[in-house]
Amino acid sequence: MKIGLEVHVQLPTRSKLFCSCPTTAESPNSAICPTCLGFPGSRPILNRRALEMGVAIAQFLQCQIADEVWFSRKTYFYPDLPKNFQITQYDSPVGVNGSCLVGGRSIGIWRVHIEEDPGRIKRVGKSGEEVSLIDYNRSGIPLVEIVTAPDLTSPEEARAFLTELLVELRHIIGTSASDEQSVRVDANLSVGQERVEVKNVQGLRNLERALKFEASRQTKMLEAGMKVIRETRRFDEERKVTHSAREKEFEEDYGYIGEPDLGTFDVGSIARSLKPIETPLRRAQRMAGHYMVDFEKCKQIVLTSMAMADLFEALAERVDPEMAMNWTLGPISSNWNTLLPLLNPPVTLDIVTVVKHVADREITDSEGRRRIGAIAAGECPTDISCAVQDSLLDSIISKYLDENPQVVKDYTTNPRAANSAIGHVMKTAQGKYNSQEVVEAVKKEIEKRKG
Amino acid sequence: MSCGLSPEKLVRLNDRHHMFAELSSDLSALQEYPPRLHFSAKDNLCAQGFQARAGSRILEGYRPPFDATAVARMRSAGRALIGKTNMDEFGFGTFCTNSGFGVPRNPFEIGRSCGGSSGGAAAAACLLEGHMALGVSTGGSISCPASFCGVLGLTPTYGRVSRYGLIDYANSLDKIGLLTRDAKDIRTCLPIISGPDPKDPTSCVQPPLALDGRHVAQVAVPEEAIKNLSTGVEEEFRKALKLLEDQLGIEVRSVSMPSLQYALSAYYVLATSEASTNLARYCGMRFGVKGGSISQHFNDFFSETRSAFFGTEAKRRILLGTYARMVGFRDRYYMKALAVRQLIISEYNRIFQDSDLVLTPSMPFVAPKFGEIERMKPLEVYQADYLTVPANLAGTPHLSLPCGYHEGMPVGMQFVAPHWEERLLLDIADRWSCAFSYQFPEAEE
Amino acid sequence: MDVETVRKVAKVARLRLSPNEEAQFARDLEEVLNYFSILDQAPSFETHDFNPVLISDILREDVPGQDIEPEILKGSMDTYQDMVRGPKLS
Repeated sequence: MKIGLEVHVQLPTRSKLFCSCPTTAESPNSAICPTCLGFPGSRPILNRRALEMGVAIAQFLQCQIADEVWFSRKTYFYPDLPKNFQITQYDSPVGVNGSCLVGGRSIGIWRVHIEEDPGRIKRVGKSGEEVSLIDYNRSGIPLVEIVTAPDLTSPEEARAFLTELLVELRHIIGTSASDEQSVRVDANLSVGQERVEVKNVQGLRNLERALKFEASRQTKMLEAGMKVIRETRRFDEERKVTHSAREKEFEEDYGYIGEPDLGTFDVGSIARSLKPIETPLRRAQRMAGHYMVDFEKCKQIVLTSMAMADLFEALAERVDPEMAMNWTLGPISSNWNTLLPLLNPPVTLDIVTVVKHVADREITDSEGRRRIGAIAAGECPTDISCAVQDSLLDSIISKYLDENPQVVKDYTTNPRAANSAIGHVMKTAQGKYNSQEVVEAVKKEIEKRKG
Repeated sequence: MSCGLSPEKLVRLNDRHHMFAELSSDLSALQEYPPRLHFSAKDNLCAQGFQARAGSRILEGYRPPFDATAVARMRSAGRALIGKTNMDEFGFGTFCTNSGFGVPRNPFEIGRSCGGSSGGAAAAACLLEGHMALGVSTGGSISCPASFCGVLGLTPTYGRVSRYGLIDYANSLDKIGLLTRDAKDIRTCLPIISGPDPKDPTSCVQPPLALDGRHVAQVAVPEEAIKNLSTGVEEEFRKALKLLEDQLGIEVRSVSMPSLQYALSAYYVLATSEASTNLARYCGMRFGVKGGSISQHFNDFFSETRSAFFGTEAKRRILLGTYARMVGFRDRYYMKALAVRQLIISEYNRIFQDSDLVLTPSMPFVAPKFGEIERMKPLEVYQADYLTVPANLAGTPHLSLPCGYHEGMPVGMQFVAPHWEERLLLDIADRWSCAFSYQFPEAEE
Repeated sequence: MDVETVRKVAKVARLRLSPNEEAQFARDLEEVLNYFSILDQAPSFETHDFNPVLISDILREDVPGQDIEPEILKGSMDTYQDMVRGPKLS
């Protein structure tokens, strides 16, 4: 069985690809403007951040990055496409000929390019008689399209590949869970000779279902001695079946031409200026190899938090890596929610010191665990003063100011606005700090936020 | 200025010559004292308070929610927009006979064409003293009507004036420009409409607009461009060359530009290719005419509206442009035309190494009668553009000036300057306007 | 260009032509395309310059903003419960 995917991921920019409409909206048809509606006289202008994200993704997927890219018009007629052409990259993808290591196998990446999303169509009415209602909030949202070689060999593998890809992309460009739900895939699957395309499958679960159904459908046909027709099919989410996409049987000739309104873009220099980022799964591989520890455990760490991976590596440099692993996945992990906001280099050092003491048998195992718990609660584990106290104070203040931003605004004209913050801290910290410490720290943080 | 322009006079002139598709509902600016300077915009330029129909019935009723940048800048400079001028549908035409809302009639002789596609703009510039008409050129749609109507027509460098708010014909060829009787007013208005606009990326690469600092000493006349001229045009053009030499001290030399033979074909391939994609959006949804019934299948819905509301020339160019981009033809036509454009730009640059400007007649004949136009076949109409197309394809700035009159009808000559050197054209406009007497028809009412 | 080709191109362009129109356009386009064949003689080279002047690296910062009230735009279209109405899909 051969499976290839064309994955469309929405880029988490704040504005659309070719206009400055916001990418989030409260109600249908509210994030719209003449450009993303295709009104006559409107013009596209490329979003720099979207271009940078596209390059970062192509780099991550080990592609050859183009020196220069441009955009093209792909002309076809559909109610969700305001200009009746889509601005995409036809003969100028950002990257080509890459690969992605997944579950030990290398999956070929044919190309990575940037294009705009059409609007979202809602079909209403009886099946076969549906009319369309369209929300153009989605029109013009930046997409990256990643085309794989047909190297995947099963629906499960395809889903695993996409899941891991999304984990990595989250780290590179900051996609969120909702972006990932909106991932759309056109999948090509062939059991025998003929390849069938299943278009516009949304989300990981539907992808696996659609591929399973299609694989089964083709297998049954071949076993019955029938020929599988090369065609395009749609996946029905409700009934979990694929059927022929009758309405798009019309053979479009996309008639690609260059998009003169945008010009060309020097992508080579963008690529060279991007700092290489270590993505979670790549990091897990490196840690497993470098410290000679179990890969699955490393994966567990990075998928929880890269900050936990930082802490693990700090430990593994000072104590036996196996021990570092046990303490990370043990006491540190069980205190993770309260510990994370307090983590900074001095606090990290304190934690490492605790574990080192256990390793050197200066304190017992359970005393070590007690001390980690204390640090996570913002308390010094021994009578000696420690870093987490300051860290806890900063963390309480930060949380309060995040939730009450008007305090910072009001402080400019009225210094007494700080009093509410000071009062809150004193109450929350329950006498851990003297009032002078608190006042100084609050004012320092407010000044930092003002500037 | 003579007796100013009253709203009544404007309406009477328009009833006779049909230069305006839509007049402002508020013409009081004309009666202020001192009277405000007025301007018009070709109907493919969006202006709030007016429809923008680009000469096409498929845009009937479209009221844009924004001003084109060029219009906004003229308004900010204090000029009053008195109306939208008639044009060939989407710019498709050389005689303004493809207008969906009224065919403008030549101010010199009413049975003759104004030229196109900015026919209404040229007629307004000719008939209304002190008026500035914004026009648009894709293949010569400023030079042609300027020549036929005996006014000055400046087409700036591609990218000099923002195209935000211009209803597209061809994005790599459209340029907004100026038509007027008065060279001085071009000098005033060009800086107003020019300059980078973040809403149009193609306007953001220009060097600053210089108005002075260079002087025209020598012009080149390509021998390919003075073939197939009507007798009248040839005569007047030669007289004009003599005037340039004798009175303005400008040296005229003959050159060869062999790549000009490909210009017309490359132009029509690129223009129609781009236009066929630009016009895909007109399908009865979202703006303009909303024809058809929602219960139709979308292919039928789209096809019905488009077929009912596009004119014949629009359909012809859509077919041509779609074909030129299709699989199997794209390399031979679209890709080849892109290469030819670069060739022609190189050819111009080669000539500009030794000459300040290139000079040809603007059109091969004077404004034809409407009866003659009806008998012309499509290819003949396209070929009438052979003098204006090369400069338009190359994106070089050019200026059409009245240079003579044949049997009462104006003859125009067209100067072409290197990219960004509009100041050479301003120089020649000033000097020619001193040496040559323009004739304007008595505005009959 | 023959009538069959005109029909095919018209379909791609969503134009519905009468038999008369098909025949007329076939004649017109045949003539025009014959003239265009002069392009075959011109030198050929790869270019991705789509404009007569160089347009490069014009970018917009990722800052959201809407100049025109979306309510005005929405109000100008045919809508039902805030969604734009469109024709049948199948």
